[in-house]
Amino acid sequence: MIENIEGTHPIDSLLREGSIPFVWCPGCGIGTVVNTFVETLEKVKIDLGKVCVSSGIGCTGKVADYLKINCCNESHDNAIKCAVKFKLENPETKVVVFLNDADFIASGADDFIEAGKKGVELLVIYINNFIYIISECKVTPTTPFVRTLDDENLELPFNIPHLAKLCGARYVARWTTLHVRRLMYSITDALENPGLAVIEVISPCLMYYATDGKIGETIDRMRFFHNNTVIKHGEPTENLDIRLQDKIIMGRFVDK
Amino acid sequence: MKFFNNGMKTPCGEIHIVKDRCKGCGFCVTYCPMDVLELSDEFNTKGYHFPEVKNPENCINCGLCEMLCPDFAIWSTLKEEKEVIEVLT
Repeated sequence: MIENIEGTHPIDSLLREGSIPFVWCPGCGIGTVVNTFVETLEKVKIDLGKVCVSSGIGCTGKVADYLKINCCNESHDNAIKCAVKFKLENPETKVVVFLNDADFIASGADDFIEAGKKGVELLVIYINNFIYIISECKVTPTTPFVRTLDDENLELPFNIPHLAKLCGARYVARWTTLHVRRLMYSITDALENPGLAVIEVISPCLMYYATDGKIGETIDRMRFFHNNTVIKHGEPTENLDIRLQDKIIMGRFVDK
Repeated sequence: MKFFNNGMKTPCGEIHIVKDRCKGCGFCVTYCPMDVLELSDEFNTKGYHFPEVKNPENCINCGLCEMLCPDFAIWSTLKEEKEVIEVLT
């Protein structure tokens, strides 16, 4: 066992110095997604000078600060806009966008629709944790459950894979942070896809569980993912709503 | 039931832990398929319980703990490959 040694992890060379400890809560799914993404970059042996990462605001926006590859951290709603412009000026670069609810579906949705209309080659990794954390735990367009502490949500959540397919995405998949191997294969496929690729990652959030009125930690949310998910490849995207009592359907839905 | 043991080898891994990076979420302990790890009773400098190696001979270097860790605190390396002699079910 190695104790108190910095910089000894095999993929520490891809992280900025002094970035650990991360700002995220214990067990936050964003750290797992970053870990999987960095391991995928190491595994496919891509030229790291030709990868660019863009991110927006909120907890997910900190991803660009921690990676030691070409990164841009944009202001509110401008992550996809910046990525599209970067891709059009540097056609050989693989551009990856890390997004949360606000940048993707709430107020940045028009940029995503325009990127799909243009058919730009982008990899959009959308981290869905069902809540706005920093703005006092308000409900988002994807919150599936009724909560009692702060807000009440009586609407159905947005069906993200269906929207992505209608906008012209050529690769659509959905996983949770528990299924890291499958997420890794999905990122590998999507990096080779010559079109807009959207991967939705459902992530456990410590604050979401706290506001739900139940006492629990992220490990309870992971057990929920373990018991309540079904893998169905090629399922029609109309059936992919996340509802209260149903099982969450995961898989690779569109691959052209 | 016995395995066929002609030339079959399983990898044997070694687990490394940076205990001051750990935030005590418990993913590696819960989802280790071979039940290698456990949470220790001690605290690290941030006040979290960090994982400890309980059964070091069981590790098969699958790398799941390394991929699930949100804080880059645990990883495994290949130590040796040992031959399977007898497995009872």
